[in-house]
Amino acid sequence: MDSLVDVWPTPRAAYLHVPFCRHRCGYCNFSVVADRDDLIERYLKAIDKELRILGRPVVDTLFVGGGTPTHFDIKTLDRFLGMVGQRFQLADAGEWTMEANPEDITSEKITLLAEYGVNRISLGVQSFNPNKLALLERGHSAQVATAAVELAAEVIGNVSIDLIFAAPGETLADWLTDLELAIQLPLQHLSTYALTFEKGTRFWSRRERGDLQSPTESCEVDMYQRTRQVLAESLFKHYEISSFAKSDARCRHNLAYWQGCGWYAAGPGAARFVEGKREVNHRSTTTYLRRMESGQCPTAETEKITREQYARERAAFGVRMIDGIDLDVLTSETGISIAEICSDSIGLSISEGLVEVPSPHWIKLSERGILFADTVASRLLG
Amino acid sequence: MSENIRNFCIIAHIDHGKSTLADRLLEHTGTVARREMKEQLLDDLELERQRGITIKARAVAMDFKLGGKTYELNLIDTPGHVDFQYEVSRSLVCCEGVLLLVDAFQGVEAQTVANAYAAMEHELQIIPVINKIDLTHARPDEVAEEMMNSLGTDPDECVRVSAKTGEGIESLVEAIIAHIPAPTGDADAILQAMVFDSNYDDYRGAITYVRIMQGTVRTGQKIQFLRAGTQHEVVEIGRFVPHRESCAELKAGQVGYLICNIKSIGDVHIGDTISRAGSGAAEPLPGYARPKRMVYCGLFPSDGQDFSELRDALERLAVNDPSFEFEPETSDALGFGFRCGFLGLLHMEIIQQRLENESDIDLVQTAPNVTYEIVNKRGETISIHKPQDVPDPGDIEEFRQPIVRCSVIVPNDFIGAVMKLCQERRGIQQSQEYLGAQRAMITYHIPLAEVVYDLHDKIKSCTRGYGTLDYEMVGYEAADLCRLDIMVNGNRVDALSVVCNRADADRRGRAVAKKLKAEIERHMFEVAVQAAIGSRVIARETVPAMRKNVTAKCYGGDITRKRKLLQKQKEGKKRMKAIGNVEISQKAFMAVLSDNEQD
Ligand SMILES: Nc1nc2c(ncn2[C@@H]2O[C@H](COP(=O)(O)OP(=O)(O)OP(=O)(O)O)[C@@H](O)[C@H]2O)c(=O)[nH]1
Ligand code: SF4
Ligand SMILES: [Mg+2]
Repeated sequence: MDSLVDVWPTPRAAYLHVPFCRHRCGYCNFSVVADRDDLIERYLKAIDKELRILGRPVVDTLFVGGGTPTHFDIKTLDRFLGMVGQRFQLADAGEWTMEANPEDITSEKITLLAEYGVNRISLGVQSFNPNKLALLERGHSAQVATAAVELAAEVIGNVSIDLIFAAPGETLADWLTDLELAIQLPLQHLSTYALTFEKGTRFWSRRERGDLQSPTESCEVDMYQRTRQVLAESLFKHYEISSFAKSDARCRHNLAYWQGCGWYAAGPGAARFVEGKREVNHRSTTTYLRRMESGQCPTAETEKITREQYARERAAFGVRMIDGIDLDVLTSETGISIAEICSDSIGLSISEGLVEVPSPHWIKLSERGILFADTVASRLLG
Repeated sequence: MSENIRNFCIIAHIDHGKSTLADRLLEHTGTVARREMKEQLLDDLELERQRGITIKARAVAMDFKLGGKTYELNLIDTPGHVDFQYEVSRSLVCCEGVLLLVDAFQGVEAQTVANAYAAMEHELQIIPVINKIDLTHARPDEVAEEMMNSLGTDPDECVRVSAKTGEGIESLVEAIIAHIPAPTGDADAILQAMVFDSNYDDYRGAITYVRIMQGTVRTGQKIQFLRAGTQHEVVEIGRFVPHRESCAELKAGQVGYLICNIKSIGDVHIGDTISRAGSGAAEPLPGYARPKRMVYCGLFPSDGQDFSELRDALERLAVNDPSFEFEPETSDALGFGFRCGFLGLLHMEIIQQRLENESDIDLVQTAPNVTYEIVNKRGETISIHKPQDVPDPGDIEEFRQPIVRCSVIVPNDFIGAVMKLCQERRGIQQSQEYLGAQRAMITYHIPLAEVVYDLHDKIKSCTRGYGTLDYEMVGYEAADLCRLDIMVNGNRVDALSVVCNRADADRRGRAVAKKLKAEIERHMFEVAVQAAIGSRVIARETVPAMRKNVTAKCYGGDITRKRKLLQKQKEGKKRMKAIGNVEISQKAFMAVLSDNEQD
């Protein structure tokens, strides 16, 4: 038993980070370089070098995120996709997602993606409202976004979009309009995020100056609750705090994160989980390149987690899934009984009506608990 | 050779340049090489450097040749802030003279007067020194005259120096040698030494700082502490130069330290007398009057588990600072902790910071209060160190509060503003004297509670920084006081009670409730805050329930970072105490001090 539970999950997923963007949006704190296409050649060599040592593993899911992976011109995109195909073997019925920005979508690029086997596309639409798009400093219009979704649906099939709510000045009515427009599109999946102000972004300092103001907390709650309602009526199932999917279109790659599976990752700022170690590459693209070029390791932080931490993390991130988590499965896969070590905190969350026990060994967020997922999660982390 | 010894301290109002002058003296006497010099070298506590002020008195021995003779100059640099007056008075006992420093621009200020009087009471030779003569706006002649008017010093005797440039240091050293009397003790008499300070070293145990009044002490000798009644063998003797430097003996008149392998910190008492062991010991010296604690507050470990750690830390700190006191306290709301008495708010802040720095305990502190006296219906007088101990109104015959005599020195233009302020604080004027053409000293009797929290700041701000305050206890007077209670979700929180004037109670109650509303974080449920006197509720505020705590953001792969963010929410709960199911932060405990609804 002991030796069995000491085994860490073999990675069956991979994340590749493409740090290039045309422009850095005011709210963005991702690992991104804007207007530095001069680094693309060096980047392609570096990430190829980082992946080469893996020895072409078989993966069930591949996720190419950013940044903006579709920012590459068609020739570069071709080389990049070819490289990815050489470094990984996608299992039968595997999921290969590419993030994309609407303004980059051309039928040429989309066809190329499909040819290489990309079968899921996640578009950074954020909104259809021209004022909101301008405020968020996005480079597309509602028309461009709509056309991109339609084209991708036609060629690739499985399309997801990201939408941001609770932007400065946004009203509930504005947001409902965005949602209405979204559900008319041929989508399989939707991710909705409340705009967060992150330290180090221009939005942060604008808010400090009093130049930007977020909607009130109760407005944000209303937006979120209405989102759940509207999307449910359109047959999008709410399956994680910010994720909604048609029947079987859940993002398998993200599920792997939340279910505590292992995954590979490469590129600046990319985080991986291999052999019980959580590692993050250096977030600065130039540092990442320099390190790769000089034969150094790109990792900036390594954390070897204990079995207990592993179990706690799985519980804390797993509980964000609306169906909840099977504590028995968690115990058998980690060797740690969360029900025991977190009995007080789970008990508290139950007594406060945040957590429910739908069947023995299961816990899930209650209707009210969905609004307090961070409270529940941080208690599980101990 | 005690005729070659000069023992003196530097005393002054805060920031008049004592520690900087000490730097120049260390340099001029060659005690510290120029390359090892740094500003305010003797301020070596971390907190002193952070705050740029002296907190602890520091002794240092300097050897200096003049006219073919070698002199031993023992200097003690003292703090200027009113809260540390006790450090000054302890230092004075070790000296025959003082350098009374006055800033050539600021002139005589409140602590200048207080310190000068203290030196006079000890019958010490005073060398008046005017410092900072390099300043463009220096007005040394006027300052010399102010000193004459307020302290009776002779303007011709004032030594003028700049501790910054070094100008005048040479003549100052000559004046020290010429005017400060040498100590008179007999080196052959029976050992009698004054313990004027101590600290605790993890490796060496207690280090005892002594001034030898008479006799001689040598390594290996057996000694006894007369008051503690304990005997020890002297392991090491030395002087501060300014680090510890061992030597074979210390003779009458000298200042230095003893190490006796004392591991039990309770064994050393500042103010104790050391003599030879066995019979025939010298007479004990008078020691020090215990300083009056001006304010009290409760200190509780955030985590109840840390109680005994907190006790150890307090005991260790008490070796180095005998001026604060502590005793165990139990609060319904906060559990086990200590009620601590301090000389003032700065002292309180410093002790708390030292506790946290030196022991890594997360503390929750209750709002400071002064000590009240109550005469109950049975005619007994009781001291009240914490508001929750105030009995029911029906059992109070008389409620008394401490009154202090405040001396404020201000430029004439601001006299009106200061008088208005003192009157608002229920002060009664005692006198007004002019120190020179420009400045006056006004004296008021004011309730201590109206003084300690912020009167000094208020005086500073209504005099553009020129007014200074000093105060001393006068006694207790009856007043119309009452206990204001705070209820959180219907439960009285003992640690939030305050004593206030009945006439102010409504305004205070509203202000406190409002402030608490702002300081109590939102919970999963509504939190009601009420202020009440007895059973009469005078203010009510509600902290609405939190509506959400969820980040609607994709938790992608960087689990570590997200986990840390979530755990930060927990971290934010430090310096918090759970009262029932309501978490109250350190800042909220201070909210009860607010008396202004606009604050
Ligand atoms: N211009 C000028 N500045 C001086 C002189 N002496 C001291 N200062 C400055 O005055 C400030 C206070 O000096 P300290 O030596 O720390 O004063 P202190 O009297 O020891 O202060 P406390 O110990 O806190 O009471 C510092 O900024 C010094 O640099 C001087 O002769 N001329
Ligand atoms: S496009 Fe996306 S990744 Fe690029 S800057 Fe904007 S928000 Fe950031
Ligand atoms: Mg000083």
